Amino acid sequence: MLTLKNVTKTYRTGSQTINALEDVTLHVRPGEFIVVRGPSGSGKTTLLMILAAMQRPTRGTVLFEDRDLCAMTPAERARFRATNLGFIFQMFHLVPYLTVIENVLLPAAAAGLPSARRRGDELIETLGLACRKLHNPTQLSAGEKQRTAVARAMLNQPRLILADEPTGNLDPENAKAVLSHLAEYRKSGGTVIIVTHGLEAAQFADRIIHLNAGRISPERAEQFSGD
Amino acid sequence: MHIIKLIAKEILYRKTHFLLGLVAVITAVALCVAFITTAAAGNRETARLMLKAGFNLRIIPADADLNRFLINGFSDRTMPSEYVDIMARQKGFSYNHLLATLQQKITWRGVDIVLTGLAPEVCPPDMKKPPMVFEVKPGTAYIGSVLASTLDIKKGDYIEINGTTLTVVQCLSPSGTLDDIRIQCHIADAQTILDLPGRINEIQAVDCLCFTPTDDPLAILKQDLARVLPDAQVIQMARLAETRTHQRRMIRNYLTFLITAVIMVAGAWIGLLAMLNVRQRQSEIGIMRAIGYRSTSIAALLLGKAVLMGLLGAVAGFALGSALAVAFGPDIFKLTAKNLKPDYTLLVWSLVAAPLFSAVASFIPVMHAVAADPADTLRKE
Repeated sequence: MLTLKNVTKTYRTGSQTINALEDVTLHVRPGEFIVVRGPSGSGKTTLLMILAAMQRPTRGTVLFEDRDLCAMTPAERARFRATNLGFIFQMFHLVPYLTVIENVLLPAAAAGLPSARRRGDELIETLGLACRKLHNPTQLSAGEKQRTAVARAMLNQPRLILADEPTGNLDPENAKAVLSHLAEYRKSGGTVIIVTHGLEAAQFADRIIHLNAGRISPERAEQFSGD
Repeated sequence: MHIIKLIAKEILYRKTHFLLGLVAVITAVALCVAFITTAAAGNRETARLMLKAGFNLRIIPADADLNRFLINGFSDRTMPSEYVDIMARQKGFSYNHLLATLQQKITWRGVDIVLTGLAPEVCPPDMKKPPMVFEVKPGTAYIGSVLASTLDIKKGDYIEINGTTLTVVQCLSPSGTLDDIRIQCHIADAQTILDLPGRINEIQAVDCLCFTPTDDPLAILKQDLARVLPDAQVIQMARLAETRTHQRRMIRNYLTFLITAVIMVAGAWIGLLAMLNVRQRQSEIGIMRAIGYRSTSIAALLLGKAVLMGLLGAVAGFALGSALAVAFGPDIFKLTAKNLKPDYTLLVWSLVAAPLFSAVASFIPVMHAVAADPADTLRKE
């Protein structure tokens, strides 16, 4: 489904050159639940951004079912993200002046889906947010905010959900709830890649990839049969 | 969700920010409208004030002796009364406020006086303006202060000059000029008294006040006159004309400076607010781009708010500016107060210019937001 081949990402700040990723090759199969682990600064988020077609690698190729993401124009990449990807971030990134249901429905306009209201309502119900549907993010707890972000990520039924530290700001109970929902999504045919330096996600993973200093540690690529 | 709904919701969420921007637009529009409305009043007032200083053009017969004209203050030759009508029919003419006169020095009751007959003031068809001088009715007279004192003439008295009886309507206040020994009457009465039926010896006028800094006004005036009255010549009271022109240009330049300053300050304020707004919305812009909103949609979201601010500011600013001009203008421009009214063409201009101005002021911060890497934005949090 998604293949990274010899991907390197270099940042230049003044006279300093930083290799965020070095020669990374990765193949993601449909329906996998992959956890990418590593210490801070290991390149996890950079990897996620490249998988999300939000950044281009300095070298290497990124193919999504034979489509070269690096060769796409910004408008094509935006369209690609709208129809194929869902995102969950540590800081939730909800739009503060929209209600829960409006935040959940935000991807529908980007993907050109005229009537996603029913799907939005179903997701809100599934994620236990029915009584918060018309509330603004400022009125929600951290767990409720992240579940809203999860619902938003799932609205367009994307092929791939990318999550950057989705449980970083949650208590263990809420963290488990979010990861369970993602695991359910994978069971229904979606692919999930979670970037984290925590341990909770490991129990759900089919595969754990360890990143260190921008490189995948081959001896630490663990295979699991996740639930 | 429709972009207009997103804009409206964001405005309601960040009301203070929107109001601050709206105040900037309203202030800029109101000041511009007030300045322009009162500028027109100011021009009228200045024109009226300057016109009180007198006519600055004197048209006399071409064969008049200029030495005698300058010594006596009036021409020794006459020309037909129709000449003023010919001038008054011209369009695109550089003369206005045409006053036909007949003046001569006579001795009356043992005193040397200047008898002055005044016709009603006329203007060319494309330059109609209220008259500069009062109209003298037939059978009436206005007596200069020195004459009134010397001959003990009072308002309401009847005077007879060469068989023509006139009623004294007013004894004028001292002016320190030849007016103090004038008897001013209707032109027909002067023509009868002086036995010069259908004749005048001068047309007083004001130039059109339409010359540009590079024009040679006297050359244009002479050219225009030669075209319609080849038998006449024009003398320009240069100092008066220059003062009038200088005054107009000064006011115009001052207003240009004021309006430019107001627009620049308002533009800088709106730009700063736009920059702050974009910074506040980095997370929202980042996630919208991440989930697939295109740069044009993001730009429309941000610029749409600026345009809306401009439209609302245009209407409110026009209302406020017009109200200020109408409320305070009459105290400043006492002579022309009655003519101070809202100029609704400025509303049309405001509705076009204010949204455009607001969008332009916000342009750089918006483009910066659109061009920013969403990965950087989302990563920073």
